[in-house]
Amino acid sequence: MPEVEAVKLASEEILQQGYSYINRSYQRVDALDKVTGKIKFFSDMKIEGMLFARVFRSSVAHANIVTLDTTEAERLQGVRAVLTYKDVPGLNAYGAIIPDAPVLGYGKVRFYGEPLALVAADDQETAEKALGLIKAVYEPLPAVHSMDESLKPEAPKLHDRGNIARHALILKGDVDRAFKDAHLTLERTYRTQSQKHMFLEPEAGIAYTDELGNLNILAGGQNPYRDKMQVARSLNISPEKVRVINYPAGGAFGGKDDVTVQIHLALLATKTKRPVKLVWNREESGIGGFHRHPSLITLKTAVNDDGRLLANDSHIYLDTGAYQSFGPTVLDVTIEVINGPYLIPNIRIDANLVYTNNGISSAFRGFGGPQGNFAIESMMDEMAEEMKMDPIDFRLKNLAKSGDIGPFGNSMRNMEGIHEALSRLRNSPLWQLGKELPPKPWIRRGTGVAIAIKGVGFGTIPDYPTAAVELLPQGKIKVLFSNPDYGQGVNTGNAQIVAEALDLPMNEIEVVNADTQYSPDTGSSSASRGTFTSGNALLVACNKMLDRLRMEAALYLESTRDGIEYASGRFLIKGNESKSVSIYDLAKGLRAKGETLKFEGTFEVPRYPEPVKGTLEVPHVVYMYGAMVSSIELNTLTGYLDVKNVDLMADIGNVINPLLATTQCEGGIVQGLGFATSEELVYNQDEKPMNTNYTTYIVPSIADIPKMYVEFIKTYEQYGPYGAKGMAEIPIVPVGASIANALKQASGVRYYQLPLTPGRVLSKLHDQGQG
Amino acid sequence: MKVSHYTVHSPRTISEALNILKDGAARPIAGGTDVMVQIKDDLVKETELLNLSYIMDLNYIRDDGDFIRVGALTTYSDLIRSRLVNEYSPVLVEAARTVGAVQIQNRGTLAGNVGNASPAGDGLPPLFATGAKVKLQSEASEREVDIGDYFLGVRKTVRQPNELITEVSVRKMKPGDYYFFKKIGLRSANAISLVSVAAVLVPAEVLTFKEARIAMGAVAPTVIRAKSAEAAILNCQLTDEKMKEVGRLASEEAHPITDIRATAEYRKQAIAGAVYEGLYEIVNGFRSPVNGSSV
Repeated sequence: MPEVEAVKLASEEILQQGYSYINRSYQRVDALDKVTGKIKFFSDMKIEGMLFARVFRSSVAHANIVTLDTTEAERLQGVRAVLTYKDVPGLNAYGAIIPDAPVLGYGKVRFYGEPLALVAADDQETAEKALGLIKAVYEPLPAVHSMDESLKPEAPKLHDRGNIARHALILKGDVDRAFKDAHLTLERTYRTQSQKHMFLEPEAGIAYTDELGNLNILAGGQNPYRDKMQVARSLNISPEKVRVINYPAGGAFGGKDDVTVQIHLALLATKTKRPVKLVWNREESGIGGFHRHPSLITLKTAVNDDGRLLANDSHIYLDTGAYQSFGPTVLDVTIEVINGPYLIPNIRIDANLVYTNNGISSAFRGFGGPQGNFAIESMMDEMAEEMKMDPIDFRLKNLAKSGDIGPFGNSMRNMEGIHEALSRLRNSPLWQLGKELPPKPWIRRGTGVAIAIKGVGFGTIPDYPTAAVELLPQGKIKVLFSNPDYGQGVNTGNAQIVAEALDLPMNEIEVVNADTQYSPDTGSSSASRGTFTSGNALLVACNKMLDRLRMEAALYLESTRDGIEYASGRFLIKGNESKSVSIYDLAKGLRAKGETLKFEGTFEVPRYPEPVKGTLEVPHVVYMYGAMVSSIELNTLTGYLDVKNVDLMADIGNVINPLLATTQCEGGIVQGLGFATSEELVYNQDEKPMNTNYTTYIVPSIADIPKMYVEFIKTYEQYGPYGAKGMAEIPIVPVGASIANALKQASGVRYYQLPLTPGRVLSKLHDQGQG
Repeated sequence: MKVSHYTVHSPRTISEALNILKDGAARPIAGGTDVMVQIKDDLVKETELLNLSYIMDLNYIRDDGDFIRVGALTTYSDLIRSRLVNEYSPVLVEAARTVGAVQIQNRGTLAGNVGNASPAGDGLPPLFATGAKVKLQSEASEREVDIGDYFLGVRKTVRQPNELITEVSVRKMKPGDYYFFKKIGLRSANAISLVSVAAVLVPAEVLTFKEARIAMGAVAPTVIRAKSAEAAILNCQLTDEKMKEVGRLASEEAHPITDIRATAEYRKQAIAGAVYEGLYEIVNGFRSPVNGSSV
């Protein structure tokens, strides 16, 4: 029996009996250790004899490097190493999809803050001082500030291939003919901005070589095995010699999915033969760290006189900055969401990934989804309005149903959840909110809706996550997987899955934090795939373990495999419960015979065999859905938006831990609120980011957080562990559009650009005579 | 830079502090909510810090006839909790509640806001609107300066390097006075004002006013009064048209800059809006006047 099937059966068997550990709100397994400060973040960690590292970064955005002189820095007392590109023994490039970004720059600089040299010194101040002694001479090149500039034929070329890093053209039906027959066609252009992750702990880590000669990298990250591969590739050493530990991280949100400090640490630790610590400061995180791709999307969309969508023609441009990092797959997600979960017979998608000198765009929660969603859900709202239809009715009418063929030839599955979510939102008090006038005439109220679709995992990219369980005779189950828990709670969810599978109490489950020395390769914590992938792999492993134990128990109980049954850590003879044996006793017996009860399980993530031409991973088999209503109060005198309520109805499959899922949804909504209203990385004329700290880069504060209501539609994903899908990204995807749609209702003015800052809002209100 | 690079003096008495300050080499620091940030950004030119935290004699709120005397160590949280300040300078309390967030209010002092001399200091417009005095002491002398004469420009004041702000005296508002404070920032807490405005209106009859003081923050190198807007309020019915005109006049007196937070144009529009909002709230019964009778 294929392992996918085994998972499905095991899950459904238990579903029928009712769960003991699934669908329960356990506290995070590491909560106490985190709040008591027992867990040390790598930024706070000290190792005897460690050196302090700093990165010398370019102070120009686009230039040829004429000279890079490190001699004075090398001579400074207390400096132990100064490294440049000449000191990179292997591939001097990194990048999760295509390694095109130099580990240490040479020849040409393509963004302000590009790393050119590394310093390790006895203390932080000496390292800092050494940076000041490094001299770079540049021959400036004209910088490309925006996609609009980059796409002009006369624009300076950032790379030999030109300024379009990737292009895809996807066609279905005949959009041009559809436009001719259409009752109404709208063409609109939408823009979204660069958003920073603003994790509390910036990019940081420690590296050292241990007594066995292995290089240990301890750094907040999201994919220890890919880190390991990228480190080994650049150091030209065997991956066997590299160990990566990614737990704990003070937040990641996609910003630590590609490598940040890892290769630099590895180079310095290897060169100096000393432990080395590297912690980016906040400004450096702002300049050198990743951010969300700005987008420029034009939609031309048509309906018939009955309000049915006929065609959607989309031109997508994402600003990947100087290098690609996750750009190609981020573009894929925008492609995937640009038609929403709607049934549209005629589709054209023209998608482009564009180079500029704006830092490096990369993974960020939602991964291209919030950008595409802002466009399509703003369009759906405007279309409904033009057709004089209720925006929820309009969406329900056009929503695909299970069995419909999606935009990529894919079969739309489990559409009942989003239908129900949207129907229920229509009855929610927020949507029904009376139109009573606010007491102050400059305050206008509005309510807006948006729905969202986002794939779970890597789509058509082959994905075989492996995880393991080990039974320890002293009465514990060790749980091993490599998706790091950077705050989202995957460790807790997986402990519950193992507890359920083995019918053992939570306190007997011991999760080992992501560490390539122990954890099998389960892949990354990204793409909302953590629980889906490692949970499934763990179920396979648990079944293997129970299978092995069952044979041993049958022997011990002088019965047969079929003659015994398992419950709560014991095997019993069917119909004779007085005769039983505990799994831990069985383990002791096996241990005496030299057998260790450690089992690996590998899960094959269901996928379509081939990606849609021009993409790497479109489409997915498993999608999450969400429907959101936001209510706002707009101050027409100041342009200030007060988001009062956000309701989210989400289809994330069966919910492993309602408390953690709810809080993660709330976090996603708040991060979406920043995307919608206040967060934007701004560059000066020299392409230097201007607002890199919490004073100038406006992340919502606790006082800005709306009243949130999160509910999960009861669905069951047959491929998921105990019916679960993923969930981390779905809450952030529809926030921008739902708030912009609410603002339209409040003000009568439609906004096509995020964020909706007071200045931007007021300026357009005045232009349209609404201020 | 780090604090450890500075020589830090921590005197226990005012006279010790003034003695340390006599050669003008030390930067006074109370709550540190501005100075610590400036140290990190390498903006403090002095080589010594005069830490006022242990001078208990500087921590007070005193009733003194027409004035409330506020010691240099008194924090925003102290002001917010003070019954005296709530009764006689509710406009200052309203402003104090918008400063940073609770953590900042617990550390930051009113005198420090004066000393820092940022045009965006949220404690300052109420001082202009009520009429406050700043006490400057040195070893040799002592003087009181009207708040309107105190500031010379961005981070520039009449304080001499050997002088210490020991007290800010806030003129009491009178029973029946109306007031408002408005702050527009990019978020609800921990935001630097894009613009702010404090106003005190002294009634002649029901909802007509014989005296008006409107002070605007973050629209010029120092907090400024909106004199023509003030004049327009006096002795007339505040119709909706009139209130809009007052807002417009205030906006015309504002000369803000464009920076990363907002454009000058936005700031001008927002100050007009904020002034209108405050007046509307007074005229339409959203705001109660000062009621000093209960003290």
